[in-house]
Order: sequence, then C-alpha cells, then structure tokens
Amino acid sequence: MNCWTRREFGCIAGATCLTALTPRAVTGQAKARIVVIGGGVGGATVAKYLAMSTATVDVTLIEPKQHYTTCFFSSLYLAGLRSFESLIHGYEGLAQRYGISIVHDSATIIDPVAKTVGLESGARLPYDRLVVAPGIAFKYGAIEGYDEAATQTLPHAWTAGPQTMLLRQQLESMEDGGVFVLVAPPNPFRCPPGPYERASLVAYYFKQYKPRAKILILDAKDNFFGQELFQDAWSRHYPGMIEWLPAQFTGGIKAVDVKGRSVKTAGDTFRAAVANVIPPQMAGQLAQDAGLADQSGWCPIDPMTFESKLQPGIHVVGDAASAGEMSKSAFASNSQAKVCAFAIAASLTGSERFPPHLFNACFTIVAPDDAMSSAIGYQAATGAIKISDFFLSKVGEDAETRRRLVREADGWYAAFTEDVFG
Amino acid sequence: MSAKCRCDGNALGARAFIALQICICATPVFLITHESLAADNNRGAQLAATCAACHRLDGRDNGIPSIIGLDEGKLAGALQAFKSGERSIMHTVALSLSSEEIATVVHYLAAQRKETERP
Repeated sequence: MNCWTRREFGCIAGATCLTALTPRAVTGQAKARIVVIGGGVGGATVAKYLAMSTATVDVTLIEPKQHYTTCFFSSLYLAGLRSFESLIHGYEGLAQRYGISIVHDSATIIDPVAKTVGLESGARLPYDRLVVAPGIAFKYGAIEGYDEAATQTLPHAWTAGPQTMLLRQQLESMEDGGVFVLVAPPNPFRCPPGPYERASLVAYYFKQYKPRAKILILDAKDNFFGQELFQDAWSRHYPGMIEWLPAQFTGGIKAVDVKGRSVKTAGDTFRAAVANVIPPQMAGQLAQDAGLADQSGWCPIDPMTFESKLQPGIHVVGDAASAGEMSKSAFASNSQAKVCAFAIAASLTGSERFPPHLFNACFTIVAPDDAMSSAIGYQAATGAIKISDFFLSKVGEDAETRRRLVREADGWYAAFTEDVFG
Repeated sequence: MSAKCRCDGNALGARAFIALQICICATPVFLITHESLAADNNRGAQLAATCAACHRLDGRDNGIPSIIGLDEGKLAGALQAFKSGERSIMHTVALSLSSEEIATVVHYLAAQRKETERP
C-alpha cells in the first residue's frame, strides 16, 4: 500500500487521472530532515510518530547507548520480581519498521543558526526540525559530598542501567538487620511515586530474605504523591519496616559521607548499610548548554507544539520540559512526544493541527499482588498546561481490585514499550 | 512503500482514498470531501495514539484488553459509559474526549484489523 501526503494529494488532484497514482518517489518532493536527540521514551516516541506521519521526512535519532533500560519497573527488578533483561529495549524496530536512522553517538552542540547538531565523533548533522529529549540530569553538589564519583558507592539508580544493578548487588550483599536509607528528592523530579514504590518493593525483598532489615526514607519534602495509599500499604504488608521522615522533621538533607556511608540532615547523621541517594534534578546537560533551560533548570515550551520558548525552531519533550502542571514520567513524555510529532507533521504538510490530548497515567506496584493506579488529564487551551481531571486509587480498595491492577500494570508495560520502541 | 508509511495504512482509509481519487477524476469538487475525510482519518489515528500508550493496537491482549476491530457502536457506548461512570483511568481519558472525538476514534479503531487478520 502506498502512503500519500496531503501535499502530494493536492499535486495529484491538479493533474490528470493518469498521474493520479504517481508514487511519492516520482514527485521529487524534498524530505524534511528531522533530528531527534535522545533515545529515551520522549525521543523514541517523537521519532516513531513523525516517521509514521503523512509528512515527507527523514528521521534521525541520536542516542549514545545501544539499548534503553526503563527506569519505570526497575524497582521490580530490585525486588526480584522482574529480570533485568526485561527492562531493556533496542532500537531495531524503529530502524527496520519505520526507516529511522539510529546514530549511536552523543550530541555535543546545537547550532540553531546553521541548523546543525555536532556529535562527539566530530560529525555535524543538518536539520530542518530538531527535537531535544535529553531527560534529566542530577544536581551534583546540591547535597554536599554527593558527586558523580559518589554514585558508585551510594547509587541513585534513577537512570536505569549499571546503577540499578549496583543497587541490587548492594541489597543482596547487605546483612539482615541493616538499614537501607533512601533519600527522596525535592519537587520536581522524575516519577513522583517512584521513590515510595521503590521503598515498598525493597521491603518486599527484605521481608523474604532479610526480615530484620529496616528502611528509612529521608525526604526533601513534607508530603509525597499517593502518601495515604503508600502508608496504608506499608502498614498492611510491611508493618514496622519502613519509616518516612519528612524535611520538616529532619531539617532537610544536607550532606553525605561516602566512606562512612551515611547521610547528614540538619540535626542528625544516619548511618546506612545501603544508601540510595536520589538527588535533586534538572533538565539534561545538553538542554542547559543549548540555552533551552531557564533559571528553574527546566525547559519552557509552548504546550500546543512543545517548541522551546527560548530557542524557536527547537522542540523539547519529556522530563526536561517545563510542562506546567504535568508530572515528569515516562507516560507523560510519551504523551508530549505525540503532541509534538503531530504538531511538526501538521506544520510540514500544511494540514490541520488538532487540539492536543495530554495525559499521565501510572500503575504503582507495592507488593506482587497489590497495585494502585492514577491518571491525570490536562488541558492546554489557555497556553499553560493545567490539570483538568485527576484520579487516584483509594485506600481500602478490595484485594481483587488490587490484584487486577498488578495484571493491568504488566499489560501496560508490554503495550507501552511496544508503543515507544515497537 | 517505505518502511515508515504506516500512517494512513488502515484498510478503510486506503479504500476511501482510492475511491476518492476516482471521484476526483470525474469532478474536482470532491477534493473538498477528501480533504475532510483525510483529516478525519488523521484525527482518528492521532486520537488512537493516546489509546496506544496502554492498549496494544495489534489485537494482542496482555492484561489490558484489545480495542481494535470491535463494533463501532459498542465501543462508543463503552467510552460514553466510562465518561459518566465511576472514577478510573478510562474515566479520565473519556472525559477528555468530545462526542465528535469519540465518534472519530471508534471509527478508526473499528477499522483496524488484528495482526493475524491482516493481508
């Protein structure tokens, strides 16, 4: 079957019936060069949906890693409920099914005047449209003593891969009776329920193999997403194992002692057998270097197109974007990427741009037979992204509902990763 | 066909397109009709992209039900029921859709064929 652009259609309609079946290749229409930087959920989704669109495009995806490892569901691996391999997704489908060129290199510089992206290898890629999806970077130094080197002893495991495996190894090596300290970051950060889901699933692991272990959450905040649900789940599944200390109690997280494996708050020092320090976050480094991020550390965008408000002609999607009231999550990144892809395709083809549909949804697993779900709808008609509807599971839901949500979570992961990489 | 051309790759869209090309040869006034239909097809695909974040669109059901190739009216009814029903992920999704958008997306989804049924 052929695929026809609307522009080609206009051309055909103005010609004779004999030329009406002229395929794209014969029309000689120049392809728009789309370059997408970052092969995470946002970048991969925008590349795929642009390649699937009716626009005539050549899509290049720049990503240094050979595979993407999902941070979502990685705490199931920590709990021994999912293999590490099941979190890994390749780019072969995007290349083979959609004709996307995958360039395994690092983008080092963007020249918005010449419209080129410089790569670590020295190559320069010209573009007509650029989408930047650099994800998050960590604010090293915001917690005294926590720098990149410290992550080898006190892993953040908040970008999945070797850090996730390191944390799992440390948990396995930990003696029963030890304290696992989890430092939860200030808002905004990637995956608001994530640190608390991780605490739940590490507790599940401890309950089986190290039942005398304790989990201490030192939080940079005074409350967190789904707090009532998590605390209810902890009391039902892991009574007495998890303690959560808000910033108003500790005075906030001030420093770490890497050698001593301890975390210092305003008034105390907490010694850990294993410490998982999730530091404060900002948009990925390239966004900072390219002038896409403002003083907040995140990238302001037009919610109808996800075009940067600071660098016209460059789009930013995913966790790096400052998208109003939208959470930072894989689901939200995927949703933003589709809006961005449709907006770029509409502008290339001159076709109608439909109102964006922006969502975030989440399945959070707290035990192998117990999950909660949430959904947030957004509207962007006023020029700012605002929450239009919010749903979150309730405390006291029956056991069958919670079991069903675990099954749905598994189904969601399969469908979602297929939507992004398949 | 290039690998990326899955765009309007639904059978209905293709049939409609071919039919409309024939019409255009006869009378250019149908161009407007086609432009509108193409836009509708596009919109259906775009709305369905939201569904694809949770529901596989190849007909496989792995914990979350398949929503393709179903009766258009039943699917529309289900979405309307979610819209007026109790709070859930699908309630939030359905609330965001106008009646026109529901009609558009169910028309698109109903026309999709399971992977095993595709030629």
